[in-house]
Amino acid sequence: MKEDDYIKKLKSTTEYTGVHPKRFALWLGMASMTMFFAALTSALILKKGDYKVWENFKLPVSFMYSTVAIVLVSVIMHFSYIAYKKAKFAAFRWLLFLGFLLGIGFLLLQYFGWAALNSIGKPITGNISGQFIYLISSLHGFHIVVGLIVTFIFLIFAFRARKDEAFEFKNIANPSRLLHMELLVTFWHFIDIVWIYLYLFFYYNYI
Amino acid sequence: METIAAHTTVHTEHTTSHDDHDHHHEASWLETYVFCQDHKTIAKQFLITGMFWGVVGGLLSVIFRMQLGWPNETFPILETFFGRWAEGGKISNEFYYSLVTMHGTILVFFVLTGGLSGTFANLLIPYQIGARDMASGFMNMLSYWFFFAASVVMFSSFFIQTGAASGGWTAYPPINGIRDLAVNKGSGLGFDLWILAMALFIVSSLLGGLNYVATVLNLRTKGMTMMRLPLTIWAFMFTAVLGILSFPALLAAVSLLEFDRLLGTSFYLNQIIINGNLLDYKGGSPVLFQHLFWFLGHPEVYIIILPAMGIVSEVLSVHARKPIFGYRAMVVSIMAIVIISFLVWAHHMFVTGLNPNLAAVFVLFTLLIAVPSAIKVFNWIGTIWRGSLRLNPPMLFAIGFVSMFISGGLTGLMLGNSAIDIQLHDTYFVVAHFHIVMGVAAFFGMFAGVYHWFPRMYGRFMNDTLGYIHFYITLIGGYAIFFPMHFMTGLPRRYYAFSNFETFSNFDSLVVFISIAAIIVFLAQILFIVNFFYSIFKGRKVEGEYANPWGGTTLEWTAPVARIHGNWPGEIPSVHRWPYDYSVNGKEYITQDVPLAPGEVEHK
Repeated sequence: MKEDDYIKKLKSTTEYTGVHPKRFALWLGMASMTMFFAALTSALILKKGDYKVWENFKLPVSFMYSTVAIVLVSVIMHFSYIAYKKAKFAAFRWLLFLGFLLGIGFLLLQYFGWAALNSIGKPITGNISGQFIYLISSLHGFHIVVGLIVTFIFLIFAFRARKDEAFEFKNIANPSRLLHMELLVTFWHFIDIVWIYLYLFFYYNYI
Repeated sequence: METIAAHTTVHTEHTTSHDDHDHHHEASWLETYVFCQDHKTIAKQFLITGMFWGVVGGLLSVIFRMQLGWPNETFPILETFFGRWAEGGKISNEFYYSLVTMHGTILVFFVLTGGLSGTFANLLIPYQIGARDMASGFMNMLSYWFFFAASVVMFSSFFIQTGAASGGWTAYPPINGIRDLAVNKGSGLGFDLWILAMALFIVSSLLGGLNYVATVLNLRTKGMTMMRLPLTIWAFMFTAVLGILSFPALLAAVSLLEFDRLLGTSFYLNQIIINGNLLDYKGGSPVLFQHLFWFLGHPEVYIIILPAMGIVSEVLSVHARKPIFGYRAMVVSIMAIVIISFLVWAHHMFVTGLNPNLAAVFVLFTLLIAVPSAIKVFNWIGTIWRGSLRLNPPMLFAIGFVSMFISGGLTGLMLGNSAIDIQLHDTYFVVAHFHIVMGVAAFFGMFAGVYHWFPRMYGRFMNDTLGYIHFYITLIGGYAIFFPMHFMTGLPRRYYAFSNFETFSNFDSLVVFISIAAIIVFLAQILFIVNFFYSIFKGRKVEGEYANPWGGTTLEWTAPVARIHGNWPGEIPSVHRWPYDYSVNGKEYITQDVPLAPGEVEHK
């Protein structure tokens, strides 16, 4: 049985109800990640409440810039996806590339944020209030790294397809890749929102 | 458009049918047996890895039972195998703590979570809901290989110089929060590997869980409404939901712990003094870890027991030739257990100085969870009541499960009360309770499942005689090990030896009795392993191309015995009735894909 026949058979007999299973799986994954960050931030609230040594301080400005950066990543990724959907592959490629660079920029800004924390006397071994910022932002950064890796794989495909029509047809211009792109963009939106939440959470817990 | 999208990862090579024992299929051997995306193969990979871990975890308990039973004897053979960990044939105390820690970790996570859920959710979800495979075969494969990587890391920690983790499977700080070997040798690299292995394990269980839920909710065949799902599927789906929502808390807990260990933060540590030196940690609280840990830890016991409950419901109904008693009540109880299990975690923490008013809330919810559990027990008994029981090994193990679950559950009611728990905390009473209710019971569910679905997996039967011997030794032995522990009042758990305590000397002979029983039960499990592998190759064959050896009604028995990729050669059968139509319309059983007879009213 050839693959085509196989897929035809699948289509004729397996009907998924409502949401596409992969999209649904991503939503579940986001629920799981939400629980992860909920656990981390509730640990912070617990600590803040029961320990008298908690020190408040002003968040380094770098974290504000990184917040702007990640919002931009999200917006750019979204436009990249729209371009993809309309089969404007050149725009898709370059926007994706820009988003990728800004993603790296976000991580750099986070790093500058840690450096600034260190310089204002909040090293990682210092007061527990500062420790939480290192902890939570680096664990969030780990999710960004995963997003960047997947984006990078997409970029390789996108740029290889530039001069190779057969490759483009097989790996870019097909609905399954479009779905994957949609899932990737959804993931970026998600970790964007998580960071905005974390930023506001820090902001209001440290004043 | 998206239908095509869902299945681009399907391999064309897999569409041809394979003979199970065709090891000479050179072209795609790796894809067929190793990096396979087929749910049936992944199920077997999980099962066999789980069995490996079962033997390792069981063997560890045999070794520490030898120490406990005969603390003054020496066993030169141990020195042969473990060298300086058992110098002169006597287990060192560090080795003892490693054994206990790893025994708990391995059995809770690698056998009864990975091995149990991984095996049966993978095998049964696509078969019983009528799907070609999981929502994402690739993610499913990744799930197994993350589990494998976690296994390799965890196993490797036995072979490092400072030994495996030894601070308890619950990984409590502060003892596990400091990489100081003067405190505890297992707190060094061994515990770092433990954390790494657990992180990999959590990723594995999440990848699997996302797949299970997405598959059940989105890939059911025509006519398979939620209320026509077999109880196994309900159990696996809610197990996955529990895992998805609670494992992140464990990941957060161990992330903080590893930060403390490697980067010098102090989330869990506060003013620690070692050898008279005050360490530089300030502001942390070890109780924070317990909150995060038990937020997973308690749902975890339901992650272990729910799949066993699902399997037992199915096996009891099939072999009693009767519909399950109270299907809706069973489904609602599963849901209730899932919800309440998130609200009981602090009953593990009654002795941490928890506010008694807060403890009262947790006592309330803990006792509440007995209600759905009891409903399930009544329904299982209702199912076998006046049935035409076939007392074959799967059925015996299923009945054994109910027996164990009742015995262990009753002591749960005692421990759930904070006033009693404070007396019993960290004694052998607790050991008896959780080993019976979620250790032995979950194993019984797993055995019931293996004996029952072995014909589905390998097209052969397991040997019945060996199965009976296995069952009776395990049942009697299981009670012999854990029942006496209820009466060892005040005996603290995890102690290396009791010889220094005059007050416990009257338990000496009981301790020896338990150790002997433990060794016998372990040996009986070898029978099972032998039976399993022997039957794969030499077991009695299932006859016929579309055999339904037990007369089951669910869809997995409508697929051909030969395992083919996609499960059914033609169209997927559509479903017309609920999964428990036994003794209706003058027939012994009717499978789910048979349309209603004229004038027949569907069971609602």
